[in-house]
Amino acid sequence: MKTCIVRKGLPRIDAIPKVSGEAQYTVDLKMPGLLVGKILRSPHAHARIKSIDTSAAKALDGVLAVITAEDVPENLFAFYQWQADKHILCTDRVRYVGDEVAAVAAMDDDTAEAALDLIKVEYEALPVILDIDEAMKPGAQLIHEGKESNSTWSVDRLFGDPDKALAECDYVVEGTYVTHQLAHCCLEVSNCIAKWDKRDKLTIWTNAQAPHTQRQEVARVLGIPRRNVRIINSTMGGGFGSKLVMDMKLPIASVLSRLTGRPVRIVNTRSEEFTTAKTRYPYTLHLKTGATKDGKILVRDLTLIGDNGAYHDKGPATINFSSMMFGTLYNVPNIRFHGELVYTNKAMGTAFRGFGNPQVTFATESQIDELAEKMGMDPLELRRRNVNHPDETAACGAEVCGCAMSECMELAAKEIGWEEKRGKGAPLRGVGLANMVHTGGGGRFYGFNSAEAIIKLSDEGTVTLITSALDMGQGAHTAMAQIAAEELGVRLEDINVLSHDTELTPYDLGSWGSRATFMNGNAVLAAAEDARQSLVEAAAEMLEADPADILVEESKVWVKGSHEKHDLSEVVDHTVNEHGEPISGIGRFVDHLPEGYTIPTAFAKNIPCFSFGTQAVEVEVDPETGQVNVLRVVAAHETGTTINQTMAEGQLEGSMAQGIGFALMERLVHDDEGRIVNDRFLDYKIPNIGDVPEMKAYCVESVGTRGPFGAKGIGEPGLVPTAPAIANAIYDAIGVRLHEVPMTREQIIKALKEKRASET
Amino acid sequence: MKAFDYVRPSTLEEACAVLADPAGSAKALAGGTDVLVQMRAAGLRPSVVVSLKDVPGLNFIHADDDGGVTIGAVTPLGAVEHSAVIKERCPAVAQAAAWVGSVQVRNRATIGGNLCNAAPSADTAPILIALGAEAVITDGREERVVLLEEFFTGPGQTVLGRGELLRAVRVPPAPARSFATYLKTFRSAMDCCTVGVGLCATFEEGSAAIKDVRLALGAVAPTPMRARATEALLAGRELDETTIAAASAKAVEEAQPIDDIRASAAYREVLVEVMSRRVLTAACAWAQNGGRG
Amino acid sequence: MKRELHIRVNGDEYHLLVETHRTLLEVIRDEIGLTGTKNGCGQGECGACTVLLDGEPVNSCLVLAHEAEGHDVLTIEGLGSGDTLHPVQRAFVETGAIQCGYCTPGMVLTAKALLDHNPTPTRAEILEGLKGNLCRCTGYVKIVEAVEAASCLLEGGEIE
Ligand SMILES: Cc1cc2nc3c(=O)[nH]c(=O)nc-3n(C[C@@H](O)[C@@H](O)[C@H](O)COP(=O)(O)OP(=O)(O)OC[C@H]3O[C@@H](n4cnc5c(N)ncnc54)[C@H](O)[C@@H]3O)c2cc1C
Ligand code: FES
Ligand code: FES
Repeated sequence: MKTCIVRKGLPRIDAIPKVSGEAQYTVDLKMPGLLVGKILRSPHAHARIKSIDTSAAKALDGVLAVITAEDVPENLFAFYQWQADKHILCTDRVRYVGDEVAAVAAMDDDTAEAALDLIKVEYEALPVILDIDEAMKPGAQLIHEGKESNSTWSVDRLFGDPDKALAECDYVVEGTYVTHQLAHCCLEVSNCIAKWDKRDKLTIWTNAQAPHTQRQEVARVLGIPRRNVRIINSTMGGGFGSKLVMDMKLPIASVLSRLTGRPVRIVNTRSEEFTTAKTRYPYTLHLKTGATKDGKILVRDLTLIGDNGAYHDKGPATINFSSMMFGTLYNVPNIRFHGELVYTNKAMGTAFRGFGNPQVTFATESQIDELAEKMGMDPLELRRRNVNHPDETAACGAEVCGCAMSECMELAAKEIGWEEKRGKGAPLRGVGLANMVHTGGGGRFYGFNSAEAIIKLSDEGTVTLITSALDMGQGAHTAMAQIAAEELGVRLEDINVLSHDTELTPYDLGSWGSRATFMNGNAVLAAAEDARQSLVEAAAEMLEADPADILVEESKVWVKGSHEKHDLSEVVDHTVNEHGEPISGIGRFVDHLPEGYTIPTAFAKNIPCFSFGTQAVEVEVDPETGQVNVLRVVAAHETGTTINQTMAEGQLEGSMAQGIGFALMERLVHDDEGRIVNDRFLDYKIPNIGDVPEMKAYCVESVGTRGPFGAKGIGEPGLVPTAPAIANAIYDAIGVRLHEVPMTREQIIKALKEKRASET
Repeated sequence: MKAFDYVRPSTLEEACAVLADPAGSAKALAGGTDVLVQMRAAGLRPSVVVSLKDVPGLNFIHADDDGGVTIGAVTPLGAVEHSAVIKERCPAVAQAAAWVGSVQVRNRATIGGNLCNAAPSADTAPILIALGAEAVITDGREERVVLLEEFFTGPGQTVLGRGELLRAVRVPPAPARSFATYLKTFRSAMDCCTVGVGLCATFEEGSAAIKDVRLALGAVAPTPMRARATEALLAGRELDETTIAAASAKAVEEAQPIDDIRASAAYREVLVEVMSRRVLTAACAWAQNGGRG
Repeated sequence: MKRELHIRVNGDEYHLLVETHRTLLEVIRDEIGLTGTKNGCGQGECGACTVLLDGEPVNSCLVLAHEAEGHDVLTIEGLGSGDTLHPVQRAFVETGAIQCGYCTPGMVLTAKALLDHNPTPTRAEILEGLKGNLCRCTGYVKIVEAVEAASCLLEGGEIE
């Protein structure tokens, strides 16, 4: 494919504002009359609220409002309304440390803080449940009274006949794998400004990954018409899933604004961000894999318990997505999946880059190596015998169209030096590898999947692109601009992207699930095609040529065969000022549902486009301290067509670093009372520049997808296989197999000790 | 952060007088990298903050005539890290300073603050104790000197009385044929130390026999501590694998680590053993190599 | 309690009346209105608030504003001149070292100070020098490349 702008590693269009400090994030906004809002949060993981006394806080000079449950709508909320279980402010019970109990609006920070100190809440402690096993015991304290048990949701999937298949397998391996709560750690914390104006319109400035659905959520929980809520985004300091579902600070700030008649800002402290900004869902996975002696995997059977935390959010969606990826990674004919969500007195889970897939892939890809070990087969060879091929339909119904799984795997293996190193590297060194599959284009989970975009040309030929693709930092704006520029034939710098205002942008489900490039990108492409058509017609008219002979490139227009190039601005000026016909375009992309689609049965048919990838790592382990040094990570991921090489690498590199964090470092730790004790970067370690190894990202192009120019999303896949690749490399290095992430130094020491004990 | 009065005295005497005032709860402020964090997150609420920034005679590195070094208490760790005198006379101190936090932290954090904050994990403490450093304490009029190993009395606690300041730290000259080093886990990240081991070993001429040894451990007891029993075991012995193993095991016996978020007690014991062995092995190699490398 | 503060930021003199418990970060962002300096943690652990105080990088969230009395502060807005980016900024743009950009101002200033002291740092020196600046987006690969490229630009070379 010949392209001018797409497939180039061009600098991001927002790089200069960001590097010069001009970019405005929500935390940077200033506004006349702005008040400071703060939230009083529960110090208990589980307690009854006996009384709240706000009189002293209300009496404090500079305090404009103090609210409790009595002052807010009584509606219950959850991402899925059928699971609604959380009040805006707790009524009679708190369910995790950090639960919202009361809130204040004051003239300044110090006053707001002082006011919080003056609110007196009397609690009566209730038994605290932090552990899913504890929560599931018969007779366990119920976290939500009135429910039958703490187990709150479950799903089963069955393909083929797993029991029969298990009986036919020559080898079966079985194991339990555990993952924990992780924090997204966006460098910009969750924050908002709410302004409820005299016309009863509510405007919220916030950093939202899905402003249109958050607008609906805010309206739903406040019981007001959706049309009255507007969300405005600014430059975003990271997302990673944490900013998908509305945070309670939005309705809280809104109510404070209504009561005071002034805009109210609420900003998390870093500690609040760690303790209340939601987490990755921790899974406990009981997994069985069976294969014939020639290495054909016949069956996989997984029971997965997700720790929901205290309230509902994206749990069912996350577990469902896990099941789809579980079913699709290899074409396994017999699959059984049971997923369950259990309440605990911890912060709630939510979407987190990879959406349940890193957890499951840690189990499945670790177990492939265990199976290979048992069979005496090279784990790479075992994988080779089970890969998906292009244009196959997997047993679970997944339509694997363009698929570069084999290419990714072979490339990663070669680059890490698999043949030379696996099983024969230097002592204490090892290599490991893991595959993954992910969506490369969002999903049809809402029962529809579509996007729109609008393009208009100014009378000077510059382009305004209105898209709903949010840029959390992943580069969606640049990718959209490249697509539009390529199709329209204009320079990248002539494109201005607007996506920040729900009053401006078309309705959209948001930027998640590696969705933007595929969905919004297709809509942008359609809008650009539409605008291009008008442009070409106008040029043909002006240049007295056949539209079929008009060429547009780099904002120049000319007639095929002619050497006389015109500035695009001449054409636009001509059509606007001579004919009064401005140029614009509208584009819509609808990802049509497959035949017979229903939400409950669609399973992997929910995924419009799959993206495969492999990571291979080399590690060195210090057996005395348990220190794992990741020496190298090689990632080979499918991109369809790489819209922007630099940005795609950046997505993969950032993901790998997060994958290393997930594998070796990150975990929110609770004390017995349910308080998170590592609520700061010194104690909750995310990789710093010294922690990341040499990383090499390969974008493997493949054909056969319906993305714009054949592109697939690459935002999430990169952290999915990192942890199992590291686990497999650790096994290769020192012969111990860890079934829990993070694989800490302490656990490695313990495992080595157990290994030595069992050998003597 | 809660409001407080702020004074920036221009003499030691004045600073000590404010700190001594029994009416208030004054807090000395050097680099502020502990004080500000504690005021924001840990409920520290002084009535007056006494900035030591403009107090003369606290920020210096002096090459003493006897071959030792005196470091002013308000000297930033970044200056300690890069000081040519320190790198020449007690390089292990420069090393320990370089391992504290980040460049940004070291540009503010002072050596005096690191010691006076008295965290069991303070990175400069073990090596300074191992080197036999002294704390020079002043009340604004008179000075007293205590051995640094006696300076710490508990987590966050020192021998400093109300109205007293640490003025300087004095590192004595290194004895002939002595080897000193500081080892910290884990350096790959900006980590507060999980275990720190400081060693100063003096060897007999031409052998690996120990003449004198000081081993200090960080983050394994309420204060940075000297491992005296381990030192006793080592005294006069020839360093070899067996002795080193015995000494490392002894160090584990002596350490009294607790579980905290950064590591369990059991794991800290593993680290004490490994790291003691590693520093002693390095010392042994150095001695066997004729005091080089 | 308010107190007079004289401070020079990006070459401009400011005479302010500031409460004694305000940090340098708060004064730069809220009083002076330069919001390029970011707050990522407020306790010295992320580096987003890095500014150069008399040319040296510090976490402005850990410096009381009054401790900077009479001193020189450089924030990201003061780097480069007019429309021209500083070579470190240019290198960050061209190597793709920026994603969400929230860590970028701190990262760029720390890198600038590193290169001021050490114009041709080794990889290890770059890693050591930027350890106090967290980035959740990039995985740091392109940040290291950016610092190497900046070094090359400052030495009169060009970015490949
Ligand atoms: C992100 C981060 C990372 C860190 N990493 C490390 C690390 O790896 N290793 C480590 O050891 N430390 C680490 N620290 C802590 C370290 O910065 C401090 O211990 C620092 O050395 C304290 O010096 P300061 O000048 O900032 O002290 P301040 O905060 O100013 O003071 C600390 C205490 O000492 C008192 N004090 C200060 N000077 C004197 C004096 N002259 N006389 C009497 N009392 C005095 C103060 O009143 C206060 O109680 C880290 C801190 C941060 C924020
Ligand atoms: S905000 Fe200052 S270091 Fe994080
Ligand atoms: S670019 Fe987002 S934190 Fe660095």
